[in-house]
Amino acid sequence: MTPERIAALVGRWVRRYTRGLPAEVAERRVEEIDADLADHIAHERAAGTGDRRIALGILSRMLRGLPADTAWRGGHLAASGGRPARAAVRVACAVACILLVPLVAMLVTDEVAWSPADFALAGALLMATGLALARALRRRGDIAYRSAAGLALAAVLLLVWLIGAVGVIGEDGDPADLMYAGVLAVGLAGAVLARLRPRGMARALIAMAVAQSVVTAIALIAGEHRTPTASVAEIVGLNGLFVALFLGSAALFGRAARPASGREEGRSE
Amino acid sequence: MPRRKPGTLLPLELEILDAALSMRRSGRPAFHGFGLAQAMRDLRGSRSLTAHGTLYKALGRLEGLGLLASRWEDPAAAQGRPRRRLYELTPSGADAAARGRVGAPAALRPRVAPETA
Repeated sequence: MTPERIAALVGRWVRRYTRGLPAEVAERRVEEIDADLADHIAHERAAGTGDRRIALGILSRMLRGLPADTAWRGGHLAASGGRPARAAVRVACAVACILLVPLVAMLVTDEVAWSPADFALAGALLMATGLALARALRRRGDIAYRSAAGLALAAVLLLVWLIGAVGVIGEDGDPADLMYAGVLAVGLAGAVLARLRPRGMARALIAMAVAQSVVTAIALIAGEHRTPTASVAEIVGLNGLFVALFLGSAALFGRAARPASGREEGRSE
Repeated sequence: MPRRKPGTLLPLELEILDAALSMRRSGRPAFHGFGLAQAMRDLRGSRSLTAHGTLYKALGRLEGLGLLASRWEDPAAAQGRPRRRLYELTPSGADAAARGRVGAPAALRPRVAPETA
């Protein structure tokens, strides 16, 4: 065991835990440790310390610093946005688990019959929703914001699934359902304009609720409730559910937009 | 490792500032990582040097707090060995080091980090 061999081992470890970090951060750490190792060996040799003892000293410094190295890497990864890949893997695992439910159901009953296209569409929808939720959660630590984002995404997912699977107005494939693209477009445009900030998101969700109400009114005026598969109660009830979900999400975003001190005062009143 | 209270320095960070202040008083205002590890070992009367990861992570934090400043040494001065990163106490770092003596009760330690939102 020579000091140089242990120093080379430390160097390999440093290059490993700095992999994937911004170049200037990684290079600085690598160069600093290289200089430290060179200084350490030169100083100890000048003091007459034996090679074995020097090597053990360097190895000890590396081993004792492993938790700090790992934490340091994690901090820089988080700061440089390196976590999304991990979040995407988690979302993909969750989507796979959810899709196992219809797959297992198909094995035990004939009532469920999903085609490969159904699995692909459901997977894409769930994946997009999960990634959007993960992004929202990364941006804000506030529980109200997280709840608002979760509720809004769940409502959108449910709406898209209903349109694709059974139809919201009338039967599956009714052209009237195309009006809901306008609701989704309002939400998307609102989120982009708001840049996911809570106050703007609250307004976007209120706009979605208004758009959903307009779609309901148009469907009733067009006489969709007179078809055999729909009634006034069904159209109003189902659309009313989405209006309530969007308004609930807007209220939560509004709560997230209020300063924390204001919220605490509100609770104490 | 102790959990950081917002605006409070950790014991290791105070130890680094203390060692940096001692080196400055002895006419060595700029110091590098290994030199600092030696100074800290001498000050606490220990046999082991601070671990690489622990030391450089803390140096980065102190620089981020504005208590230390750093620069690369002149390549001509390196004379064939890897160039060193040289650190120096900033005025606020020197002030924090002077007020935060190692071993002082936590309540007396300087609170220098900005409060997080």
